[in-house]
Amino acid sequence: MIWRFGLFESTFTPLVSTHWALSAALGLPLLLGMLAALFPPQRMWPVALASLPVLVSGWVLLSAYDQAGLLRWQWEVAGVSLSLRLSGLSVLLLLTTQWIGVAAALYTPGSLRLGEPQPLSRWLWPLMGVLLSALSLIWLASDLLTLYVALELMGLSAVGMLLLSGKVAALVAGMRYLLLALVGSLAYLLGVALILGQWGRLDLQGLAAVVEPGPVAWIAAALMGAGLALKAALFPMHGWLSPVHGSAWTPVSALHAALVIKASLFMLLQLWSILLPGTFYAPRVIAWLGMLAIVWGGLLAWRTDSLKTLVASSTVAQLGYLMVVFPLLLGPDIAPLPRALAWEGFWLQLLGHAFAKAAMFMAAGNLIFATGESTLKGLAGTSRRLPLSLLIFGVASVTLMGLPPSSGFTAKWLLLEAMLISQQWWAVAALLVGTLLTAAYVFRMFRYSFDDSAPRHHYQPLAPGMDLIALALALTAFALGLLAHFPLALMRGGGV
Amino acid sequence: MIASFDALETLLALGLTVVALACLFDRHLVRACCFFVAFALAMTLAWWQLGAPWLAAVELLLGAVLTGLCFFYALGRFFPGVSSPLERDSFNEPWTRAFARLLLALAWFVMVGAAIRYVITDMVYSPDEQPLLLAGVMITASALGAFALHRHVLRRLLAFNILGSGVFMLLAGVAGTSATAQALITVGLCIAWLGSMLGALLIRQLLHLEGVDALRDGNPKENAT
Repeated sequence: MIWRFGLFESTFTPLVSTHWALSAALGLPLLLGMLAALFPPQRMWPVALASLPVLVSGWVLLSAYDQAGLLRWQWEVAGVSLSLRLSGLSVLLLLTTQWIGVAAALYTPGSLRLGEPQPLSRWLWPLMGVLLSALSLIWLASDLLTLYVALELMGLSAVGMLLLSGKVAALVAGMRYLLLALVGSLAYLLGVALILGQWGRLDLQGLAAVVEPGPVAWIAAALMGAGLALKAALFPMHGWLSPVHGSAWTPVSALHAALVIKASLFMLLQLWSILLPGTFYAPRVIAWLGMLAIVWGGLLAWRTDSLKTLVASSTVAQLGYLMVVFPLLLGPDIAPLPRALAWEGFWLQLLGHAFAKAAMFMAAGNLIFATGESTLKGLAGTSRRLPLSLLIFGVASVTLMGLPPSSGFTAKWLLLEAMLISQQWWAVAALLVGTLLTAAYVFRMFRYSFDDSAPRHHYQPLAPGMDLIALALALTAFALGLLAHFPLALMRGGGV
Repeated sequence: MIASFDALETLLALGLTVVALACLFDRHLVRACCFFVAFALAMTLAWWQLGAPWLAAVELLLGAVLTGLCFFYALGRFFPGVSSPLERDSFNEPWTRAFARLLLALAWFVMVGAAIRYVITDMVYSPDEQPLLLAGVMITASALGAFALHRHVLRRLLAFNILGSGVFMLLAGVAGTSATAQALITVGLCIAWLGSMLGALLIRQLLHLEGVDALRDGNPKENAT
């Protein structure tokens, strides 16, 4: 497991151009965000122009990884050592972050222009910049101190973004999210303290070599796991998720559900594969909770009346799929083949869900903008008037349901294969139940939208491009299933 | 010489615990915030005592001055003479809930205490000789209990800050005050300050929009860690 995360020595040192690309990938979102706070962009093209260098930096890092394999950076600042590494998985997640981040940024000017003028809207840009920089840092960081800094920056900027709409419901939900996130990070910090006290080092690669199973590793893993699970909204600590999304702005919801939650999950898996490489019970507890999450999230999404709650509850259920895979990734005596399949299925599911959920939030946002209603009943008649938004919602749901040939299908296929080989029948059952429930809540939503009995007269026109961006994201999620060899090659690339 | 040294530390640890408890369980909000500032000042002394002058400076600036200002801003005490609706926490809880939270805090106290006493064998500071570490365990447990018990968001924010200080104290006790540990604690203090600032802004905005009742954090299910 350790080598899969790229925690080993690199063969080559990074080139100068790679240094520049790294600093651009980490720093540019922040700088551009500050710039946009001073001069808030009103149209889409300045955003597109400004985000080009960020995308180029991602591309340069990808080609650097293609040529040299794993790359490492290490600094020593005032007796504290900081390190970064660029593995295949990091590149993949970094590219995902950049593309979804740019899509959300492109969507923002239109959505801000359409709604009523908001006093705080210019603050969205710097917060988005901090969020994207912190996310990029999380994928690359390979010591616990850098991870802590990045995690906190991400958490605080996410809370800030969710509050910007300024409604009372948003503020109340945001306050609870803030307090829980802060306490979660203290649990993480206490785990780090135990590790530092016991082994005297914080770099992941060194820790992987010296950590031995024992009470300290277990307690540290439990503390960090609790803190990160709280931040990742893993069942049963998902209660804060739906209210937070209920009144947030659309691009903020898209970024949060697609990326922020995944970052905590990524850290959880990475840290547990170092601290608990051979435990039997911990991954199974997560898997059982994951099965409950699939059922509970699906039921919540099925019974709700609000479109945003539907999309947010579906996140809880989809995270359940990822939790169910834990016993195939961590634990004693797992055969190499199912482990490799589960590894690929896990990340493909995560990527597909990131793109599909971002697209779904944008499509839902477009429907709510156009109709002015946020309930499912308010969607009546949209099938004739807003076919494109509904189509985007449909394409995204195809990925969530896991119908071929979407990335959801390929990911579930890989996971099913791994589960069948290792004879985890309950996990297979959970996967199938989840698919049925997803279909149930998606078709319930479509049934309301095809209801023509309540003719509406007024629909607000959308800004140009708002639908196209969402469509591009949904199609990316769809195409990742057909072109799965590209991400899969990067995921495997961890051990050359 | 050594005896007087120990006495000073014991006094400091006792003071920290008492001020923390006063801050956590005083329903009068202004007084609780004053206790918080006193607690931060005592923490400054404790860092100095543990041989970490850098942390003492950071704690003084971030913990006592800036976070303290955040709380008084949240209370609306920047302009004297203006009466603020935030005087006392008047939200009452059924005793069953209070009892459950007391059990939670006790369990936490026993768990962390046992972990430190028996699991981690070669700690930098042994709890037998270091009263500040014991104070850290005590403060963490009571702050966690208070965080879970209180409904008033300002008191929860206070409890989070005290919990943070307790965790930093435990961190220093377990890992010493090496450069790495100091860096971790410094980052933690910055985050706590940013979080308190965000929380204070939120509280003002909620008061402005909805009044005192909006500050009641309602969901009984939630429970951290």
